[in-house]
Amino acid sequence: MGVPADSRTVPTYCYQCVAGPDLLRVRVEDGVAVSVEGNADAAACTPSGGKACVKAFGLIQKVYNPHRVLTPMRRTNPRKGPDEDPGFVPIDWDEALDAVAERIRAAREAGGTDASGYPRIAASFGGGGTPTYYMGTFPALLSAFMPVDFSFGSGQGVKCYHSEHLYGEFWHRAFTVAPDTPSCDYILSFGFNVEASGGVCGVRRHAEARARGIKRVQIEPHLSITGACSAEWVPIRPKTDAAFLFALIHVLLHEKRAGLDLPFLKSRTNAPYLVAPGGFYLRDAASGKPLVLDLLSGRAVPFDTPGIDPALTGRFTASGVEHGADDDNWCHESVPVHPAFERLIRHVAPYSPEWAGGICDVEPALIRRIACEFLEHARVGETVEIDGRTMPRRPVAVVLGKTVNNGWGGFDCCWGRTVLSCLVGALEVPGGTLGTTVRLNRPAHDRNLSVTPGPDGFMDYPMNPTDAGNWVDRPAVRNANRTLVPLVANSPWSVALGPTHLAWMQQKQAFDHWPEPTLPDLWFVYRTNPAVSFWDTAQVSQTAARFPFTVCFAYTRDETNHMADILLPDCTDLEGLQLIRVGGTKFVEQFWDHQGFALRQPAVASRGESRDMTWIATELARRSGVLEAYNHAINRGAAGVPLKSGHGDFSLDPGVPHDVETIWDAVCRAASVEISDGADDHGLEHYRERGFRVKPFPRIKWYLTAEMEDQGLRYELPYQERLLRIGVELGRRLHAKGVGWWDAQLEEYEALPTWKDFPRLWETALANHFGVDIADYPFWLVTARSMQYSWGSNAAIQVIHEVAGNIRGHGGLVMNAGRARGLGLADGDRVSIRSPLAETRGIVVTSQGIRPDTLLLVGQFDHWATPLAREFDMPSMNAHVPMLLSLTDSTGSGADLARVAVSRLEGAS
Amino acid sequence: MSRYVMVADLNRCVGCQTCTAACKHANATPPGVQWRRVLDVESGEYPDVRRTFLPVGCMHCASPPCMDVCPSTATRRRDDGLVTIDYDLCIGCGYCMVACPYQARFKVASLAGAYGDARMPHEEARAHPERLNVAQKCTFCIDRIDAGLAAGLVPGEDAEATPACVNACIADALTFGDIENPDSRVSRLLRDNESFRMHEELGTDPGVYYLWAPVS
Repeated sequence: MGVPADSRTVPTYCYQCVAGPDLLRVRVEDGVAVSVEGNADAAACTPSGGKACVKAFGLIQKVYNPHRVLTPMRRTNPRKGPDEDPGFVPIDWDEALDAVAERIRAAREAGGTDASGYPRIAASFGGGGTPTYYMGTFPALLSAFMPVDFSFGSGQGVKCYHSEHLYGEFWHRAFTVAPDTPSCDYILSFGFNVEASGGVCGVRRHAEARARGIKRVQIEPHLSITGACSAEWVPIRPKTDAAFLFALIHVLLHEKRAGLDLPFLKSRTNAPYLVAPGGFYLRDAASGKPLVLDLLSGRAVPFDTPGIDPALTGRFTASGVEHGADDDNWCHESVPVHPAFERLIRHVAPYSPEWAGGICDVEPALIRRIACEFLEHARVGETVEIDGRTMPRRPVAVVLGKTVNNGWGGFDCCWGRTVLSCLVGALEVPGGTLGTTVRLNRPAHDRNLSVTPGPDGFMDYPMNPTDAGNWVDRPAVRNANRTLVPLVANSPWSVALGPTHLAWMQQKQAFDHWPEPTLPDLWFVYRTNPAVSFWDTAQVSQTAARFPFTVCFAYTRDETNHMADILLPDCTDLEGLQLIRVGGTKFVEQFWDHQGFALRQPAVASRGESRDMTWIATELARRSGVLEAYNHAINRGAAGVPLKSGHGDFSLDPGVPHDVETIWDAVCRAASVEISDGADDHGLEHYRERGFRVKPFPRIKWYLTAEMEDQGLRYELPYQERLLRIGVELGRRLHAKGVGWWDAQLEEYEALPTWKDFPRLWETALANHFGVDIADYPFWLVTARSMQYSWGSNAAIQVIHEVAGNIRGHGGLVMNAGRARGLGLADGDRVSIRSPLAETRGIVVTSQGIRPDTLLLVGQFDHWATPLAREFDMPSMNAHVPMLLSLTDSTGSGADLARVAVSRLEGAS
Repeated sequence: MSRYVMVADLNRCVGCQTCTAACKHANATPPGVQWRRVLDVESGEYPDVRRTFLPVGCMHCASPPCMDVCPSTATRRRDDGLVTIDYDLCIGCGYCMVACPYQARFKVASLAGAYGDARMPHEEARAHPERLNVAQKCTFCIDRIDAGLAAGLVPGEDAEATPACVNACIADALTFGDIENPDSRVSRLLRDNESFRMHEELGTDPGVYYLWAPVS
């Protein structure tokens, strides 16, 4: 190894996963990227301390991987399918772009939508919105030829925190939830695997918290990475977390009520609102406001009457009106009513630890102890100064992981988690349970700004209408998000957060009284591989093979682009150019004291014929005749920053195409005037040098309760009057249309969730659908994220595979050692994993850290086309999770849960 | 006299393997060779189970068994505690690999890259033919230490003079420094915490300490 003539480091970012961005530097020697390191310049202004995650260390191999697709390719075999050789042949960019542009033109000339009213163009992107940090100005292109259908999911619903996303945003602007880790003392973690999925920020914040003595209890069927780093592991039976949470609430309400944060409940929640006999609030006849019982006057008065002391408990007699669904109104004279809190107390009366213990397979005494520890650590009554403002200090938090917070039971667990926080006043206050960001509400860069007054003293929420006049009765996209899911709102993210498997399911079997399920004329796929990452992957592959024209941005060949018609090689992470917003509060544990912008820039020249996404988007815009609309979209802010503001106008001439650097220079200058309040307009060169630019972000903005106090608003908890109403209305709308297949989902719209036997629900759904005896499938199969792989689309990267191999579970099917012994199985045995849906094969990895009734498959593998990954011989649970309406909750999500049998393969040892 | 050691805080380590990957970058080690790595160790029986993440590599022992068995004097120990291998002297006999109780030594017989014989540009640029067919292991990033010291920097305090794995650790679980300096970070950590060393009973006097609890 000689001494390089030229050695330098290039600042950039890694945003392969939702726990990014990590600001880093790439060492480049004589034009070759050789290593990755953190960006020490960012140590003081990022919660990651300027460090880079293990996934970032795969980016060099990602550039130079010999398996890369480095020229545009065209399919020559018209037959599509896993067993068909696509016959891809290299073509030049002109041919590739013209072929795609012709399809765009045709779709637009045909009116944009088809006979079913669905967009003719569809697009699917990878998890958590991270592809947007790599796709340059591609969003501007999509907006130029809208409508585009983002219905076809690639993991959403079953792989994300779906119920948390929707209910979290509804209740406390929490698309995702995190503890206030730096000042929290006690965390209840129901399967939240932060040490594997929280990125550098998550790992770092929790390591610091452990060093100062935080106690975290990990409640999860297997001993995950996070369980390993926790003070205590409680091996709960899969999908029974809601019972555990209900029992904790029971203990606090029935055994420890005096210690709760009653002032918070009275002033910041709907706990004192009186509930009328029909289940809706009792309201003041004149103003329509919900009533509370004022203990000082002994009268029912509107909730916002000054100088009152509202009752939380008791039974009262009062008069008023009750508004139900649609025009259902009742006038009540001297009827018995209860505060919502009293309703809650009665509601959870049966949910004792003794009740939950049998369901969860956990000792009742342990549940009771944890409830008491939670309350003791909450320090009800304490305060702390934040940015000169006195705030409650409640250092306890509850967090939920995947499979707990999505699918059936997700609502119940999210509700239980948030109510627990409310009971001790620990919601959105220092030390407590916090939301990180918003995606359904706007603006996305500061959730505080999304808080505006709504009905009944609560925040407003952009609910999709369910009234007869405004309900979106004809779905505009194939997953029918706005029609079926009022909570999913109508932001740019809302389609991808709809019931995305419905788009796939309908291609197999149409739904009654619903538009004919059509395929899009043109499907774009970027940074995702749904044929591996979604559920029932065999069906996804079969359906993808029927799409008439698929354009995949291709890094290497993979299972989805195996069905493509055109492959377009885009720049990898270290080759492209893009400016993004960073800081504030965001996704997983990303709580910054700064906000601003970071640049991703080419550390090295792009390889082969790969091209920057912004160049590709501009060329497609030009060739498909939407250049002006595309440039206008960039000017409006589709590249992250509006180019015209009060501080300056850097708008692009809409009539001509612009090169990549011109576009991003304009974005950089607009960003500079924004962050400097017009003091300077530094362009691209300024960001190239340092890689980022930030300004302070007030810490008080971490805590939504400050904003709620300022606006005099309440959290819509614990009672769900609004959900009860929209559920009834949605049911009426669907039934009027003849739709009865969503009835089970309608039952989830409850004012207070009642326990359902979720494990039994799974067993029954599988037994009924497949006609099997569930006893033949004795194991629950669960999954867990991998720090080295999650969201990374990096299965083709050798170094990631190599280092991940040091962590248990990356080699096969994890099984309880005692149970394995009982079955005559040992480490290394090759087994068949059989579910009612599929059969896969893998290697047994025995462990003491897993329940005997549970099996674990880490990550998402099972590749058969992706180079390197296809040699892993690693099964995935995705093949075993069926898309069933009976396993779909009201938000449109499922959960990573299957029932399987395991048997040794004949001849194997 | 200095003795450079590493401290790994088991309460902080999460097994993410960032150190493993950072080492591979910093030292351009070939596929399958991990001078630094983190073990995933399970102990106990269900449901009373512990899972511990244990960063391992060359322990830079004060009494290194690898040195004792080396017939060519390729393996030596510097005055500052670093155990080194002179690739020119090493004959690749592998005795040291057997003698090392920490399985810290590797030997490779080909310069094949991550994706086979055709090396990628960064592998080509940083190929180490001198490491072929000889023993190799963690050097505590000896080049960084020596260059840093020459520049007046302090290993363990200044990143430029500190092993790459320590700089990269996202949980600040790894600390490096001079144990003979009572004010160094490692000395302070060892005073404030209970610690152990791996296979101490073998008399190797290893230079990697594991913290497991604060001093009560």
